[in-house]
Amino acid sequence: MSTLFLKIATRYLLKNKLYSFINIVGLAIGIASFILIMLYVNYENSYDKFEGSENVHRVYMDYLEGGEWVPGDANAYIVSGPALKQEFPEIQDFVRLRRVKGVILLHNNTVFDKNTGALADPSYFNVFDRTLNKGDLSTALNEPYSIVLTSYLAQKIFGNEDPMGKTIQIAADGNTPFTVTGILDSTGPNTHIKNDFLVSFKTFYTWPIFERDWEYTWNQNEYFTYLKLDGNADVASLNEKIMAYEPEGLKNERHHLEPIEDIHLNSNKPYEAEANGNANSIRLLAIIAFITILLSWMNYVNLSTSKSLERAKEIGVRKVVGARRPQLILQSLIESGLLNFIAIVLAIGAAYVLLPVFNRFVGLDLKLNSTQIKGLLPFFVFMLLGATLSAFYPAFVLSKYKSITVLKGKLQTSTKGLNLRRGLIIGQFLTTITLLTGAFIANKQIRFLQDRPIGADLNHLVTLNGQVLNRDRDSLLKRDFSTLMNELKKSPYVDNVTLSQTYPGDDFTNLNSSFGITFPNGKTDDKRIWYNYTVQPDYFDLMGMEFIAGEGFPQTAQEWSHNIVINEKMASFIEVTDLQGMIGKTIKFWDQDWTVTGIVKDYHHFGLKTPIEPMIITHNKAISNVLVKLDKRTASLASMTQALEQLNKIWHQVFPESTFGYTFLDQNFQKQYVEDRKFAKAFQIFTILAILIASMGLFGLTSYTCIQRRKEIGIRKVNGATITQILALLNKDFVTWVALAFIAAVPLSWYAMNKWLEGFAYKTEMSWWIFGLAGLTALLIALLTVSWQSFRAAVANPVDALRDE
Amino acid sequence: MLLQLNNIFKWVQQGGQRVFLLKDINLQVEEGEFISVMGPSGSGKSTLLNVIGMLDDFDEGEYEFLDEPVHQLKEKHRANLYKQYIGFVFQAYHLIDELTVYENLEMPLLYKKHSGSERKAMVADMLDRFNIVGKKDLFPTQLSGGQQQLVGVARALISKPKLILADEPTGNLNSAQGEEIMTLFKALNDEGVTIIQVTHSEKNAEYGKRIVNLLDGRMV
Repeated sequence: MSTLFLKIATRYLLKNKLYSFINIVGLAIGIASFILIMLYVNYENSYDKFEGSENVHRVYMDYLEGGEWVPGDANAYIVSGPALKQEFPEIQDFVRLRRVKGVILLHNNTVFDKNTGALADPSYFNVFDRTLNKGDLSTALNEPYSIVLTSYLAQKIFGNEDPMGKTIQIAADGNTPFTVTGILDSTGPNTHIKNDFLVSFKTFYTWPIFERDWEYTWNQNEYFTYLKLDGNADVASLNEKIMAYEPEGLKNERHHLEPIEDIHLNSNKPYEAEANGNANSIRLLAIIAFITILLSWMNYVNLSTSKSLERAKEIGVRKVVGARRPQLILQSLIESGLLNFIAIVLAIGAAYVLLPVFNRFVGLDLKLNSTQIKGLLPFFVFMLLGATLSAFYPAFVLSKYKSITVLKGKLQTSTKGLNLRRGLIIGQFLTTITLLTGAFIANKQIRFLQDRPIGADLNHLVTLNGQVLNRDRDSLLKRDFSTLMNELKKSPYVDNVTLSQTYPGDDFTNLNSSFGITFPNGKTDDKRIWYNYTVQPDYFDLMGMEFIAGEGFPQTAQEWSHNIVINEKMASFIEVTDLQGMIGKTIKFWDQDWTVTGIVKDYHHFGLKTPIEPMIITHNKAISNVLVKLDKRTASLASMTQALEQLNKIWHQVFPESTFGYTFLDQNFQKQYVEDRKFAKAFQIFTILAILIASMGLFGLTSYTCIQRRKEIGIRKVNGATITQILALLNKDFVTWVALAFIAAVPLSWYAMNKWLEGFAYKTEMSWWIFGLAGLTALLIALLTVSWQSFRAAVANPVDALRDE
Repeated sequence: MLLQLNNIFKWVQQGGQRVFLLKDINLQVEEGEFISVMGPSGSGKSTLLNVIGMLDDFDEGEYEFLDEPVHQLKEKHRANLYKQYIGFVFQAYHLIDELTVYENLEMPLLYKKHSGSERKAMVADMLDRFNIVGKKDLFPTQLSGGQQQLVGVARALISKPKLILADEPTGNLNSAQGEEIMTLFKALNDEGVTIIQVTHSEKNAEYGKRIVNLLDGRMV
């Protein structure tokens, strides 16, 4: 019996090629989108999940701001971990990580640059549940000058040699030698804090690169600190106790815990280890995934019930010759099963093939490996369930037809079934318009981020961030940088050169944060945080920053002074209203007096996701960035390449032993929006797919209604209706549905996108025309989809419809 | 003369062979005639009616309606012609189930240029004339077959056609209802409306002034 059914099903699918195609492709697109999005969502959710990760928490600092505690810093103090562990028995273990970025490693005089690592306590392996490919967990990070490499870095440096016990140097302050004591598997779990190597924490106290920081007090707050709690600990109450804990020497700050599993998607504090994801975006995408697959099932139900009309005769004949309802249902289910099976196989194949394309387009590195597939397993169960359910409805409808009426050709379709299908279509339009609006708004926001003036001109600005090897003393190096600047200025490609500690769009890490400031009127604030960095006088000119009062620093012989420039926000922070009168006044901080020479118009130092912070720019010689303003004439790609080549040459003339690197400031600034752009692109793709699926469903319904209203169309034509009038009659319904869906979609999409935009300090407007445009687009798509079939129905000869048999 | 068919042929290709639906039909209809078309199943009665009603094409021959050569007219012109002069009555009534009696009657007027008040007057007139004022808000399924056909005839008449084409108008009715419709047709004919009806019943054919017999697409 079943084999017969399968044979009939196959023949049926082959005979109705368009129908089968639409059904299978619609389902396959839905399932493939679902798989792709869920891969992305799973990946974003997979951060920091390991054995026992639910008991691991990060310590961050809350600052007092306006009488409230606000998350102020993702880092804690060097003494935070030990102090907390001593105070609270619930804490089993802690690990501190002090990060070192852009590190050059040397082995047999070969340079390996751009590595990021961290000083780590020996408890690292215990807290993060990591094992070593090679080396001993209990001793690897015990001795000073021990280094643990990831297997990837080890392979890069040592090739197939055994690295254990070998020596490599870290090129900073005298090429200190380190001994390799362990190899960490680089395919470890996904984490928000990625390290290429670990250095034993004990190295800190003698390593020259930390010379200025050699103290063990509540002054050193650059330590990511993670606690491993007792599995039975009550986290909420522990958190309260920790919040209340006020160690001696810690003013206006409190410790706070957050689960490590929540960091990637829910934490966006200053000084994060990397740009984190956005939980709202991921949630939205997951919703889209479920919507797409639901849409495709709705379609399936829609199409197959419409199609069942045509099969009514077959069912009638079967019933007359003795088929009973369960058998008919079984047959219909077998057909659905076959169709769904083909669709799922196609979808998995498509997802596999399209994954690299998707990765490239969105800028991700997702993989369809066994762990990822395992993560998708619950969704496969969900998919099977959905497929079965969506197969049952048409089966029941089909098997319900009464044989006599069907054979007499008097099949009346129930209005109930039609209402269900109308409901499905309105639902599809609702989602289509909502998705369209969302995609438009996400796009508008991304464009807003790109186009909004940031208050500084980053065009043609390059920072040279090469590293000098074998550097001896800072003072000598500083002299070399003066030479470098003079040489660079001579180049015809170069407009101007300056030095600065950081620049707009650079990492938080290169910025200092401080408390404690005495205003010109003698008032003191030691609670709120403010930021500071040092520059040379030309900086403001190079950046094209605008002064609303005063000016930048006067050139001084010794390249530093006690002059400062503050931003508008800082001016409001110190409660100044007379901006001009502020010039020449004295502000006190760091136990010194500073003279304000200018107030710079607020510019975006951090990108538009973060609000503008109070900022003090001091005058000193920082050598972390050589900022070069290229001549405007070097606009073409060729001249740009030549310019960069010359910069490279000049750099190496001054620093023969060094690496050379450069970054375009405008590009770097845009990098802050990478995650948002990924989201917007993913949103775009899946919106298009959802629309495609919805149109397929609409196509199905139109063919159904056209069949259903054949008689009516015939009567109207015989009574004088023209083709245009019939078209209007048929399309009027769809317009109504789109209108209904539109009314429901506006508040829904407004709410959802408002939620998403909350993640940005500066946001685009949700103008009314976006909603209008989305509605019109949906209407246009709907009309295009239905018109072909409506037209066919309208031009058909009424005689065929009205034949009295 | 109302219409004239000269040497009308209509065929379909079936398995490489021409199967004739109408074969050399010559028919003249004067205004005020009442013609009954008779013949066994498949003899081409309905096809002939559809050709006269300009709902169906023919393959050869000439057709003049009120001195206009139908076979040379463009589709649009032809539609205007039948919209204006021809009303149809069907065996299965073909009322629109979703519309009330009133709306069914009004429907043909929507496709001609009548103002709202004009339409109201014309529909009221028809309801009155057929004594169905009380039924105007009912849906077709709430009416008996005879009543439905009454509405069907009223709809055909509403735009004051010169010619009524009726395809077995009593085929779905019992004898009493059938007689009622035929009496109505007779009365209409007496008022000057030309009627061509297809029928199986000798008795109903008698109401006509002339009988046309068809066999295998040929007039006999």
